[in-house]
Amino acid sequence: MAHQITEACSGCTACARLCPVFAIAGERGQRHAINPKRCVDCGVCARVCAKDAIQTAGGRIPPRVPRKEWPKPSVARAECSACQMCVEACTPGALSISLPKERGDLRVFAELSAPAKCVGCGLCAEVCPLRIIKMEGGTAA
Amino acid sequence: MILPVYAQINLTTGKTEDFPISEAYFKRYIGGKALAARLLLDLTPAGLSPFAPEMAVIVNTGPLNGTGAPSTSRFNVSSKNVLTGGIASSNCGGSFGMMLRRAGYEGLIITGKAEAPVRIDVSDGEISILDASELWGMDTEKVQEELPRHMGKLVIGPAGERMVSFAGLASGERMAGRCGVGAIFGSKNIKALTAYGTKKIPVANQQKFDKYIKKWVRFLRKHTMTGDSLPHYGSAGLVNKANASHALPTLNFQQGHDPLADTVSGETLAETRLTRNSGCVSCPIRCERRVMLDGKEVKGPEYETLGFFGPNIGAHDIDTVLRLNYVCDILGLDTISAASTIAFAMELGEKGMADFGLTFGDVSNLEETLRKIAGREGIYSDLANGSKWLSEKYGGKEFAMHSKGLEMASYEPRRSVGMGLGYATSNRGGCHLNGGYMALLESVGVLSIRPQDTRAKAQWTVFMQNALEAISTAGCCLFSGQTFVPQILFNLGPNHFVTRFLGQAAVLTGPVVRLILAVRPVMRFNTLLLLPHAEALRLATGLPFYTGSFLDLGERTFNIERLYNLREGLTGEDDSLPARLTKTPQNPEKKNTVVRLDKLLPVYYRTRGWDKSGRPRERTLKRLKMENEHG
Repeated sequence: MAHQITEACSGCTACARLCPVFAIAGERGQRHAINPKRCVDCGVCARVCAKDAIQTAGGRIPPRVPRKEWPKPSVARAECSACQMCVEACTPGALSISLPKERGDLRVFAELSAPAKCVGCGLCAEVCPLRIIKMEGGTAA
Repeated sequence: MILPVYAQINLTTGKTEDFPISEAYFKRYIGGKALAARLLLDLTPAGLSPFAPEMAVIVNTGPLNGTGAPSTSRFNVSSKNVLTGGIASSNCGGSFGMMLRRAGYEGLIITGKAEAPVRIDVSDGEISILDASELWGMDTEKVQEELPRHMGKLVIGPAGERMVSFAGLASGERMAGRCGVGAIFGSKNIKALTAYGTKKIPVANQQKFDKYIKKWVRFLRKHTMTGDSLPHYGSAGLVNKANASHALPTLNFQQGHDPLADTVSGETLAETRLTRNSGCVSCPIRCERRVMLDGKEVKGPEYETLGFFGPNIGAHDIDTVLRLNYVCDILGLDTISAASTIAFAMELGEKGMADFGLTFGDVSNLEETLRKIAGREGIYSDLANGSKWLSEKYGGKEFAMHSKGLEMASYEPRRSVGMGLGYATSNRGGCHLNGGYMALLESVGVLSIRPQDTRAKAQWTVFMQNALEAISTAGCCLFSGQTFVPQILFNLGPNHFVTRFLGQAAVLTGPVVRLILAVRPVMRFNTLLLLPHAEALRLATGLPFYTGSFLDLGERTFNIERLYNLREGLTGEDDSLPARLTKTPQNPEKKNTVVRLDKLLPVYYRTRGWDKSGRPRERTLKRLKMENEHG
């Protein structure tokens, strides 16, 4: 299952630039295409598309969502083991492991250190082995 | 049951095809180093040079890789060992393994030789062989910076390109250091492997698996070793412990104690140089050291590197160790073999047998020496062939500190005789981990099972070797097995009479361990305390893994690698140690400070179900369901 790009696409490249798994390709000004093997149905492309050109696997055309309404990960810090699975999955580089407060401090955790980079894809929550990352505060597409 | 699919890539013809793993092989060998050894026996004829184009190099994963189970980024690289001529299996905690699985393959079998440097890319189940001429010559750090950030990578540095016998592979900052696997990549003109994909890694029972992982992570974070000692001090924390037990190799294993060892200890590192701890992806233990070097934060050294670029070469400068560790990593050199070979060259120089301009205690020219080794410049090309080769050319076999050709790790086995037996019998050569890591139970752990006593050591070595092999094969880090030593002993402390009594009494447990080894098939229980890996493997694969069958998997792994060694011409004669360890007491006043291999080996062979020449008996292979399989 994967998202698709319809004929309404203007080739503005916004989706290709934000796709967290690099599944979208196309020339500027040309209709883009989503690699179905790569697509994880995170819906980021639909949220950013100004032309309503993104179709979900179920055939729905989700509306554009303003960036400030995108969901953001929230980590249950006390339970986090800082295993970095989420950091590795976060290709935009929005998550990192917190720095120790002083030398020898082991109580570190994953945190949204660069919120501006977060695209709200939810890949972090999906790979978290402890299932302690929740996507919050936004409208999922 | 979801069977693994490997890809077979022939670099000579440029052909790639899927290589599905049969159900029989999956059930028996699971993946990782066990399956890789089995496939090497099947796919390559006996007697090949490690650098022959027909030789295969297998990069593969275990069923737990990338599942989210703790410490499961570890993947395996197997081929023929450049240093020993036997099996090479090298393990790495970089992200390449889990990325490979997400890209659609559980393993890659690479044969042939490319005409010009190549990068093999695996993306979403598709394999491309790409030109890498522009990457050739770059160090492991630079080449990875040149490649896309999101990909899993496995690369060689200049040392691999020039086929230095102890060249390794880098994935991120983690190394598959040992056995010369980097040289094999170099011989095939492979500069890099890259992988990326978004395939979900399947788990048989996701719900129960998730629940178990939560429990397991909590357990690891509570245990003194994995939740406190390793995160605080890393493996580096062993320097002072080994030194106190006289098990810290000093001046090329001439002694086991250095009064100045604390200058390069884990405690000193943590108090004066450490910026923070970190870890491999997926690992809650986080034993990795982060340190500053020339204004940049880099990976700090492990215990072996501290010991070997410290007391073993008569040096006590921690900043030099940090630098040399980094230089080895970017050149793509195994720090253990490189540093041990340098120590051997220093002793050759001291005895007037060869002159490489290396002297005990002098670290001023070591960075340059490492660069010359990686470049195979002039006489340094001799050093690039390792200690065994050097000792054959210049003499000094009795103090060339390797077994089968692979340099030993930083544990002085004359004060840890079980470790000595482990070094001698380890399939890949002088390796502490493949050897069963008895040092943990004898000289560097909370418990000390009479380090000079040979009783029960063979049985424990077999048990430990099997357990460690199974953990590796499953795709886990061996440090996740440190919880095997019960927490209560850490609570009591090493000096408590109960801990001491257990250490003393353990030498009488030989028959008990032998019994445990014999009744494995009926050990149908799983416990978080003993081997959590068995339960995780059961939930991940749906196969009936219990403590007993899990240990069987380890024994099978050990035996299949042994069969590979035997096929390649190694024999029981090669289960040996340099004379320094077996003939010269570490302490001249204590005659028992030698490794009595003559006493240990026969018991070891018997416990393993091997004949007197060190060959697995038919009935042993039958019990392990490996009959009619020897290559």
